[in-house]
Amino acid sequence: MATTTATVSISSSDLQPGNALSLNASSTLMQTGLTTGLELMEMGKGKLTEASAADALHEPLGTANTANWVYICNNATDDTHYMSIGIHEEIIGNLGAGDWMWMPWNMVADGEINIEAEPTGATIPYEYAIFKSTYTLPAKT
Amino acid sequence: MALIPTLTIKDTTTFSDEINFSVTDSLTVAAPAQSLSLETVTATGGNHIIIPAGTAIAYLFVRHTGTTDGSTGTAQLVDLENTDDEAFARLGAGEWLFMPFNHAGASVGVQLQVAHASNVLCEYAYWTKG
Repeated sequence: MATTTATVSISSSDLQPGNALSLNASSTLMQTGLTTGLELMEMGKGKLTEASAADALHEPLGTANTANWVYICNNATDDTHYMSIGIHEEIIGNLGAGDWMWMPWNMVADGEINIEAEPTGATIPYEYAIFKSTYTLPAKT
Repeated sequence: MALIPTLTIKDTTTFSDEINFSVTDSLTVAAPAQSLSLETVTATGGNHIIIPAGTAIAYLFVRHTGTTDGSTGTAQLVDLENTDDEAFARLGAGEWLFMPFNHAGASVGVQLQVAHASNVLCEYAYWTKG
């Protein structure tokens, strides 16, 4: 069985005086039902330009209520360059230069992941990985 | 104040090549923030607002403990919604997420809601981008 684990550690030495933060959490990526691992992975990197407006990182091709995971990292070195992250019409986050995110993604019919570079004139290198439950191969043309 | 989040993805069984990558960041954070906390989530999202409405970017960590109360197991799913009731993520037992929440500058927060009538104990924390 596929056994992909995602682990996060979050630490800080100066959040609270005398109380350093050291958080760790790990989970195995599972398909819906939590018994079968995710067996499809897509990784890549690219450059996002503000001029292109919002681009879909992945189209919503999956079946509703499938479990999928997405990793996105903004590799910009200019602190003013950030990525706006959305699911269909809903903006859900701003990813600053050097920042990453990891979250589940439900590929419903209209639930594509959108990414957009900001501010005006920005070109942002980024990388991503998507772990998917299902994927329907395109029909032969 | 600095926050150092690290993500590691590993897999040695699925493919003929190993997946093993790690990414670390250094975040400057400020108040308001919420240290690691527990919330018993129900099917009423408005009762479980974990980030109050605001326009700032909030680095958010949420983990589904896989229990209703710290000991009794549950597989009920937990939705993350903004406080306008728009869902954007769903966590299963034992799963977690880390993300920079913001809603295009609108003054909204984040709430948790169990998909069906049940209790789920969740762990969460957030820090405002400094």
